[in-house]
Amino acid sequence: MNNNSNKMFFLFILFFSTLISISSNSWFGCWIGLEINLLSFIPLISNSKNLLSVETSLKYFLTQSLASINFLFMILIKFSLLKNFNMNNIISIMMNSSLLMKMGSAPFHFWFPNIVEGLSWMNNFMLMTWQKISPMILLSYYFNKNFLIFMIIMNLIIGSLGGLNQTSLRKLLAFSSINNLGWMIFSIMISENLWLFYFLIYSMMISMMISLFFLMNMYFMNQLFINNMNFFIKLNLLINFLSLGGLPPFMGFMPKWIIINFLLINKFYFLIFIFMMTSLIIIYYYIRIIYSSFMFNYFKMKWVNLLMKNNMSLINLSSFISISSMILSTFIFM
Amino acid sequence: MCFNSFFFLFFFMLINFFFFVYFIMNGLSVFFEWEIISFNSMSIVMSILLDWMSLLFMMFVSLISSVVIFYSKSYMNSELNLNRFIILVLMFVFSMVLLIISPNLISILLGWDGLGLISYCLVIYYQNLKSYNAGMLTALSNRIGDVMILMVICWVMNYGSWNYIFYFDFMKNDYVMFIISFMIIIAAMTKSAQIPFSSWLPAAMAAPTPVSALVHSSTLVTAGVYLLIRFNYLLIDMFFFKVLLFLSILTMFMSGISANYEFDLKKIIALSTLSQLGLMMSILSLGFPDIAFFHLLTHAMFKALLFMCAGVIIHMMNDIQDIRYMGGLSLYIPLTSLCLNISNLSLCGIPFLSGFYSKDLILEMVSFNSFNLMVFILFYLSTGLTVFYTFRLIMYVMINDFNLMMIYNLYDEDYIMLNSMFVLLFMSLLSGSFLSWFIFSYPYMIYLPFNLKLMVIYVSILGSILGFMVSNMGIYSLNKLLLSYNLSSFLCLMWFMPNLSTYGLSYIYLNFSQILFKNIDMGWSEIYSGKGIFNILKNYSVFYNIYQMNNFKIYLFSFILWFMILFIFFFI
Repeated sequence: MNNNSNKMFFLFILFFSTLISISSNSWFGCWIGLEINLLSFIPLISNSKNLLSVETSLKYFLTQSLASINFLFMILIKFSLLKNFNMNNIISIMMNSSLLMKMGSAPFHFWFPNIVEGLSWMNNFMLMTWQKISPMILLSYYFNKNFLIFMIIMNLIIGSLGGLNQTSLRKLLAFSSINNLGWMIFSIMISENLWLFYFLIYSMMISMMISLFFLMNMYFMNQLFINNMNFFIKLNLLINFLSLGGLPPFMGFMPKWIIINFLLINKFYFLIFIFMMTSLIIIYYYIRIIYSSFMFNYFKMKWVNLLMKNNMSLINLSSFISISSMILSTFIFM
Repeated sequence: MCFNSFFFLFFFMLINFFFFVYFIMNGLSVFFEWEIISFNSMSIVMSILLDWMSLLFMMFVSLISSVVIFYSKSYMNSELNLNRFIILVLMFVFSMVLLIISPNLISILLGWDGLGLISYCLVIYYQNLKSYNAGMLTALSNRIGDVMILMVICWVMNYGSWNYIFYFDFMKNDYVMFIISFMIIIAAMTKSAQIPFSSWLPAAMAAPTPVSALVHSSTLVTAGVYLLIRFNYLLIDMFFFKVLLFLSILTMFMSGISANYEFDLKKIIALSTLSQLGLMMSILSLGFPDIAFFHLLTHAMFKALLFMCAGVIIHMMNDIQDIRYMGGLSLYIPLTSLCLNISNLSLCGIPFLSGFYSKDLILEMVSFNSFNLMVFILFYLSTGLTVFYTFRLIMYVMINDFNLMMIYNLYDEDYIMLNSMFVLLFMSLLSGSFLSWFIFSYPYMIYLPFNLKLMVIYVSILGSILGFMVSNMGIYSLNKLLLSYNLSSFLCLMWFMPNLSTYGLSYIYLNFSQILFKNIDMGWSEIYSGKGIFNILKNYSVFYNIYQMNNFKIYLFSFILWFMILFIFFFI
């Protein structure tokens, strides 16, 4: 039941709900968009033939609806009891907390790896990219700077430390998504344009990774090298992992570079240190996955032959984009 | 590759020759300066000084290197990677040229360091254990000189720029100049292998023979002498020159004695190079820089020729370098033995060959100016020793019977090697007179009594008679060594200096480095980085995972709790 029109209908409503949420000029409109988002995502992920996905959709529903209820409550309290424009107060902390829970950011992230574990790759892709748009934009409307900086630090640390001990590829990408959420929240505090840039590049990288895992049907780390990938698929995997970790000269370095530049100029030295060190840990566990396939004596099963002749153009294109886009992007401004 | 570089260097030599003649006739000197970077008060400039001394030296260097590259086309023709060898030699020549033309300490450092490193690469070219050991000894001895030049760069920053030639007249009695002169002399002593550092020169004979002809006869080892000639105005009345005099005449003497006990052809030639270097350094420290330069150039010619003849002989004797196997070669290889004879006699100072002009001038200057008795005795004694080991070598190699095989055929007609030797033969015959007419615009006034004038001839005849008598090798000749075993081993093993440079230094440091390695590299620095941090992160991750796997209801409820607490704070 993968490609039926029910899913397309709900997908359409999902996109539309995000647009409602971010383009409304009242907090009510935002909340309405968030609710429709939740309601339309649930049919996408629940598949009544599979007990795990039913349980996952139930968990998703509970957490997101709790967060939405709190969000609505805080909107009403803000409207009735608080008439100033100052952003750094407790109400903004509470609003930000509910939005952070919707996104899956620390310290409210405990649902995120569990739910990601229960979804298929395409649903994960929607969860990790599209579902983050409206909470982040709503975050940019009314945020508490000190609270958010603390949350960023927690995001980074939890994203890096949590992923060290994982063997499931979905949970690995979940923790890396939490880590990248840290970078994205900070970029929202700098400028929304920068957040858009970071988010687009992040979603492009995640889409390349997830499409590769989806094609090979790989969910766990021990499935990685059984199916005898040819060289270009391995290369694509390596490049995408390194790009996700933010290694120059790949594409994923560019948004992180701009953020680091901002941090340095404005003397956020402690924050830079935490950003850097957690990035290092993340790159460590990416490379740990893929490095053994590039040695001279790599693991190879002789009785499996993977034929991917029809799909190689997509893989080559994505490798090319990851490698060259940082250089090519400088040619835009010539 | 060989031919291209030969023609290029030969052409370069001709250019240098023409400019040299023009410059010295008109008394010109040209100074180019290019400022690379200037920060606070110092500026790093790349400057080029072209006066007659640097042009002449460049001409000689390029002539010898072009001839050596041409020679090595035939000598190293069984080498697979000949291009690599030629490129190394060309890089060496480039560093030497950089050293010659620079009046500025930064560019001297570039040339100096380049010389040291590339000579290491060339010494270890045959990659066997002996070459590795020799290369390590060469590189580390040269490194001491590099460190000294680096410290000189630091100290000269006191004066505001690194162009040292401007400071000599004004700053002679300064404390800073005292330190600088000390370090410069140590640097020159390491490069030119004077007494504490002289063990690397015989060891570096593990290099291929064209390398020895170029590097260890005329360019690398004369770099130290050249540096002191440039710094001469600074050092001329200072205490360190007296120390240098003492050490250099001892070097001259020691290597002359040790060459008499050696049986390896290239080591004898190396020790004779060392002896002539001592001569150059000593005449420099007595206050005659232009005579030292003159001897440097003529020595370069005949020593390179001597090494090339040795190369031909070694090829002919099936790669055996021991002179006890050789003999009677003058009958079979007349052209090579012609070159060998002329270069040997030029080394001894036989009249009107090129070595005579410089050596005789040195000895007459020593006799004419009043120096102390030890200087006088050691100079003449070393001259006699030079003749002694030269004649011993000639007797062993060319006159006695052939000792290698019963049935033999010795083949000389390798015209590539011979043509290159003939070029140097021509120069070695004529360069003495040619240089003396150019360099000395008026001759030195020397007035000596008759016997003192003939003293050179007396010691030469004595040395030749001794050389003849020693070279009659017989069955019992080893026993005479055993009679005076301690003294003989002291004299023949270069006064135990190789032991000082190798075993004496390595034991303590290797022991210490083992302690450091076990305790720090494999110990504490693993705990504080590497393994330790990995363990910490792993433990944190395991600890976190315990909290990750939790009850869902507790999670939702704790979210509500957070909100209730914040709500309370809102109303306080």
